Amino acid sequence: MESYSRRWFLGAGATLVSAAGLTACGSGSGSGGSGGGAITAMVYGDDAVKIQVKSVDRFNASADAKRTKGKVKLQKIPGSEYPAKLRTAMGSPNAPDVFFNWGGGSIKAYRDANQLVDLTGTIESDPVLKNGFLPSVLTAGALGGKNYGIPMRGMQPVILFYNKTLFAEQKLQPPTSWDQLLDNNAKLKKAGITPFALGGSDIWPELMWLEYLVDRIGGPEVFDRIKNGDSSGWDDPAVLKAAETVRQLIDDGAFGKGYSSVAYTNGGAPAMFAKGKAAMHLMGSWEYSTQLGKFPDFAKKDLGWCAFPKYDGGAGDIRNVVGNPTNYWSVNARTSNKDAAIAFLRDCASEAYTKDLIANGDVPATANAAGLLDASPNPEFAKFQYQMVQQAPAFTLSWDQAVDPDVQTPMLTEINKLFVGKSSPSRFVAALKGLK
Amino acid sequence: MSHDTLRRPCPVRSAGPAPAAAARRRRHWTRRPNRLAGLGSVLWLAVVIVPIYAMITTSLTRQDEALGKNALTPPADPTLENYGTVLDNGFGHFLLNTALAAAAVVAIVLVLCVPLSYVAVRTRGFWSGAAFRLFLLGVAIPAQAVVIPLYLMIAKLNLYDSLLAVVLPTAAFAMPVSVLILTGTLRDISEEMYEAMALDGASPTRMLFQLVIPMAKGGISTVVVYAALQAWNGFLFPLIFTQSDGPRVLTLGLFNYVSQFGVNIPALLASVVLSGIPIFAVYLVARRALVGGLMGVGGK
Amino acid sequence: MSPSVTTRTKGGAGAGVRAGAGVRAGRPNAAWALPAVLFFGFFAVVPMALAFYLSFTKWNGLGDPQPAGLANWRKLLDDPRLTQSLTVTVLLTVVSWVFQTVVSLLLGVWAAGRQRNRAILSAVFFVPFLLSSTAISLLFYALLDPNFGLVRGDTLGSTSGAFLAIVFVGGWQFIPFHTLIYQGGARQIPEVLYQAAAMDGAGRCRQFLSITLPQLRNTATTSGVLMIVGSLTYFETVLILTQGGPGTDTAILPYLMYEAGFKNYDFGYASAVASFLVVAATALSLLLVRLTGFGAMRSTREGM
Repeated sequence: MESYSRRWFLGAGATLVSAAGLTACGSGSGSGGSGGGAITAMVYGDDAVKIQVKSVDRFNASADAKRTKGKVKLQKIPGSEYPAKLRTAMGSPNAPDVFFNWGGGSIKAYRDANQLVDLTGTIESDPVLKNGFLPSVLTAGALGGKNYGIPMRGMQPVILFYNKTLFAEQKLQPPTSWDQLLDNNAKLKKAGITPFALGGSDIWPELMWLEYLVDRIGGPEVFDRIKNGDSSGWDDPAVLKAAETVRQLIDDGAFGKGYSSVAYTNGGAPAMFAKGKAAMHLMGSWEYSTQLGKFPDFAKKDLGWCAFPKYDGGAGDIRNVVGNPTNYWSVNARTSNKDAAIAFLRDCASEAYTKDLIANGDVPATANAAGLLDASPNPEFAKFQYQMVQQAPAFTLSWDQAVDPDVQTPMLTEINKLFVGKSSPSRFVAALKGLK
Repeated sequence: MSHDTLRRPCPVRSAGPAPAAAARRRRHWTRRPNRLAGLGSVLWLAVVIVPIYAMITTSLTRQDEALGKNALTPPADPTLENYGTVLDNGFGHFLLNTALAAAAVVAIVLVLCVPLSYVAVRTRGFWSGAAFRLFLLGVAIPAQAVVIPLYLMIAKLNLYDSLLAVVLPTAAFAMPVSVLILTGTLRDISEEMYEAMALDGASPTRMLFQLVIPMAKGGISTVVVYAALQAWNGFLFPLIFTQSDGPRVLTLGLFNYVSQFGVNIPALLASVVLSGIPIFAVYLVARRALVGGLMGVGGK
Repeated sequence: MSPSVTTRTKGGAGAGVRAGAGVRAGRPNAAWALPAVLFFGFFAVVPMALAFYLSFTKWNGLGDPQPAGLANWRKLLDDPRLTQSLTVTVLLTVVSWVFQTVVSLLLGVWAAGRQRNRAILSAVFFVPFLLSSTAISLLFYALLDPNFGLVRGDTLGSTSGAFLAIVFVGGWQFIPFHTLIYQGGARQIPEVLYQAAAMDGAGRCRQFLSITLPQLRNTATTSGVLMIVGSLTYFETVLILTQGGPGTDTAILPYLMYEAGFKNYDFGYASAVASFLVVAATALSLLLVRLTGFGAMRSTREGM
């Protein structure tokens, strides 16, 4: 009886599942796959993923795909859980062959576990890759002088966006100094408008404020020290000053009241901004494509942009930029078809790929982009962004991507506590120093 | 009470108290209307209805209209486009996966738990007692606690990113309560009935199929409802053990819509409405069985 | 396995006595329980043991876990977030239990009446339970949106708001189920008790307090146990509604574990939290079983 029922269960279970073809979905890829053949590419599934979809189609129809006997299958992972999903997938036998990442700290663990293909030599010997991308962007994603990633999205500097129409109505100028910013805030509040939209429940939009303030107050060197593992760098007076400045903004009502339950990812903050409930929004350059997708009229008519203002008496240059250089494709060292994976990455340097990015409102990090920006839905914005990055004396990588992943969540938690008033600026500094 | 309660010998109990109970139930609860209770129930009705109403009206509103208006005002120009958006984003496939997973979980739980409960009730001895106590202890262990080691095991077993990776642990964690429900029901089968069958020369196997299973129908239907609910509600196992579209179940699909649809709250709510429709249909058709089954979870 | 076990009737106090009544009915071989035990063992008990093992290792999800001695446990016991998390978990359990019990008790007793309007309303009250927890969390996430929802304001941004939202959402989903249990319980209270009380001139309030409540004692136990066990699983609600925030104020134990594992990739530490959860839940199980005799799953009948 026992063996009977067990056999029944195993048989029934197997039939049920295989009949539906469901076991097939995860297998046949990664190290589990048998030599040659299909490879999977795992990508963050947001609006911009259509560019990668086209790229995959292009590659699968190309001669390179035939030569390497590899077809790419794109696996779109929607949502903020992407990093966790990537980690669990990479630890399983069904790891993707090629995967989307943020460079820097976001791939350090995979490098340490010998799961990344070192692309330095490949890039050196392949003119398409070597000359295809802006060198600064290629380096920004490197680890210890070695390249593990190929740029595959637009540049993502953080920009201060503002509502041109609202500013005109209130007779305001985009702020270039901190005093001017505070002055604007006072006038906006008087008019019943929240100065800044802030998607505080995601936390990383709050992080952008600290990144810029620390840069403007203390210069890019402050975070450089921290990034290189010197946690006493948090002790720099600029960090405390930045935290106090944030506290002041909050107490002044610069972000309104409900900001800690507003999210960026669900579009809450962009909607507040687009609907004129808030006058400004400090956000990555993707804000433009987001607004273009969700509120096209607003994006075309009212959306203005400028650099983050100078902090009076601070050490940082107003031209300094913080943000993400771009996103990268990296290759899993255990891929069954490395040739196909690398051939697929070369498509990112192609003109077709660059054009797709530009049409999406992105500014590609490819060398050929400069001449193609006129095709952007908003050439003015695209050129502003391109020059901003090109002329920046320093480009600071987003803190959450730059620090060790072990420290990332605790750091974000401390930032959130500062913003919701669960921590004071001095306690905030003490807590960050204690991380590690 | 102590552990002895659990090992208590099967009491002799007459098999059919049903007619008496039914007669007892046909009574008048109160003579005059209870205004206070009436008021309370209307209040709760509002608590239940308002969110559902807001959900349905919003799901019928165009996105840009929904951003501006109060969720309670009906849409000026109702639209089904949000439902189209959801259906275009794999909803049907996710629903099918959930249905498959639920069927598999129910099958595994029944096939394994019925014989176990039969042994636990009928066979005295160290091993059957130990088996029963093992499941008893499992009752309060939250499945979340073992998700990390399970992930490790599932990765090593090469089950990662397949529906089986969701089905097997979900079934395992549905077993403790199922065993409790089944043993509770099986204890009501009187010794005389077994003896009557034994007179006919029935083996324990024949008793299982001809006596135990037919007599335990109530408990079994409760277990079916309970196990199916576990699969229906399961979220963490699919979240951690699957990644691709192939084995994605409905709860995970819904969760992903949050970042996919973003502030497209109408589409998000349309997906919630759609997820409720199949089980609402079951509820309409088989309300008695479902409600009866659930009452069983609470001990009849 | 060994067929001789079949007829063994040793052990259980009364088991052998009844066998003397007539023909001894055959008993199933204990080995029939084996598939279930093996299955449960493999997918539930082994992982628990593995969680303990992992709690003594350092593992970031890639490669193999490395031994780390007591480091994770030391960190756990020093972590102020454990205390906070434990407090929130207990508080959430207790508040949910009170809220759900009060509402379900009243609704259940009310719904036990046979009037037609009560039957219809009961059918409506049941609807929330048909949605999955994920769907319900999403629904309230949308309704609580501070700018575009039904309840506009910083509900999820304040500690008490976020906490109460979780309690409410949990209640909204599970009250229908517990109402059903109380309804079943209330219908089994013998009518004669009320008739007698009415003759003594007891009013409705009096009847409720001195008949209904005591008679529902066992129902309340069953329902309470299910609520307590159930509230350990509010994970989805927390993940979707608050992500443990504001700050870390609603990070219940399962969420703390999820965060340590799947956000910080410190699976060793996460396993220590998980092991702690297993120990706490097992202790709770044992306690509940001892206190209530819940294991017999028949408590509501005891009153008959």
